[in-house]
Amino acid sequence: MRSSTTGWLLLLPTIVILVFTGVMPFIYVLLTSFFDWNLFAVNPEPQWAAANNFRRLVHDAEFLKSIWLTLKFTLYVLVSQVAIGFALARLMMRDFPFKKFFRAVHTLPLMIAPIAVGATWRLMTVPGLGPIPYYLKNWFGIDYRLSMFPDQAFASVVLMDIWHWTPFVTLTLLAGLSNLPQEPVEQARIDGANEVQIFWDIILPAMKPVLLTTIFIRIMDALRVVDEVWMLTQGGPGAETRFIGLHIWKIVFPKTDYGYGSAMSLLTLYLTIVICWLLYVAMTARKERPL
Amino acid sequence: MIAMPDRRGFLPIRTNAFDRVFISVVLFVAIHLLWMRFLEPTLPLWIATVLSVILGAVIVRRG
Repeated sequence: MRSSTTGWLLLLPTIVILVFTGVMPFIYVLLTSFFDWNLFAVNPEPQWAAANNFRRLVHDAEFLKSIWLTLKFTLYVLVSQVAIGFALARLMMRDFPFKKFFRAVHTLPLMIAPIAVGATWRLMTVPGLGPIPYYLKNWFGIDYRLSMFPDQAFASVVLMDIWHWTPFVTLTLLAGLSNLPQEPVEQARIDGANEVQIFWDIILPAMKPVLLTTIFIRIMDALRVVDEVWMLTQGGPGAETRFIGLHIWKIVFPKTDYGYGSAMSLLTLYLTIVICWLLYVAMTARKERPL
Repeated sequence: MIAMPDRRGFLPIRTNAFDRVFISVVLFVAIHLLWMRFLEPTLPLWIATVLSVILGAVIVRRG
C-alpha cells in the first residue's frame, strides 16, 4: 500500500502537467466546437450551436478537399520517407569512406526549423531568382512555376517534406538496426538464407516496434503540417496545397471562427487517432497468424 | 494497476474493455458524421444516436 502511495506521489507532477496541457485544452476545444463563437459576429459571445459546426464541416467542400489533400500528402511522404530512411539506415550499418561526414551532413535538415526550411525552398523555387526553375528550364525545358501549376506545387511540398524529415526516419531506424541481435542473422546465413530472405523474415519483423513508432510520429507530423507549406506555397495555387492545418489556421485566425475551427481540429484529431489505430491493428494482427 | 483481460468476441481482433469502448466511440463519431452528410435530410440525427448507442453496447458486451 505504501509503495503504491509513493508511486502515485511520484506520478503526480506528470499527471498535473498532462491534465493542464493535454486534458483541459482538449475539453475546452470539445466544448467550443458545440458553440458558435466568432469575435467579428454581431454577437461576439459564444452561442450554443449543438452539432451545427459538425454539420457544416461535413458539407464544406473546401474542408473536405483539404482532408483529401492532406491524406494524399501523408501517404506520399510516409511511403517515401520510410523507404528511403530504411535504405539509408541499412547503408549506414556498413562501413564506407566518409561515413561519419555523410551521417552528419545527412542529419543537417533535421536541425533547421520548419519555417526556415520553407523559406529556403521558397528562395530556391522563385522563378527568375531560384536555381530550381533555372535549371529545370535550361536542362529539361520544364516551365516550373509554383504559383501557376498545382501539380508542381504539390510535388514540391512533398519533396520538401521528404528532404526535411527523412533523416529523422533514418536515425530512428538506424538506432533500431544497431540494437538488433546479430545471432539470428548469422544463423540464417549459415542455414543458406539469402539477403532478401534475411531482410523479410528476420530484420523486418524484428524492426516492427521501431517502424511502428516512426510511422506513427511521421503520420502525426504529416497530418498537422503547416509552417513549411505556408512559407513555400501559402496553400496555393488556389487551395491546391491547403492542407488541414493551413485550412484551420485560415478559419480560426483571420476569420476568428473559433467554434467551427474547434470542430475541424477535433475531426483532424479523430482522423489521426483512427488512422494510427488502424495501422497499429493491421501491423500487429499478423502476430496472431499460426506459423 | 488494473488488469483488463483480452478476449475474442465477434470482432476480428482480440480486445480488452478499453479497446471495445474505444471502437464504440470511434464508430459513434463516424456514424454521426456520415449520417449528417448523407442521411439527415431524410432521417433525423437522433436515430443515428440511438443506433450508435445500441451498437456501442453490443460491441462492449459481445465484441
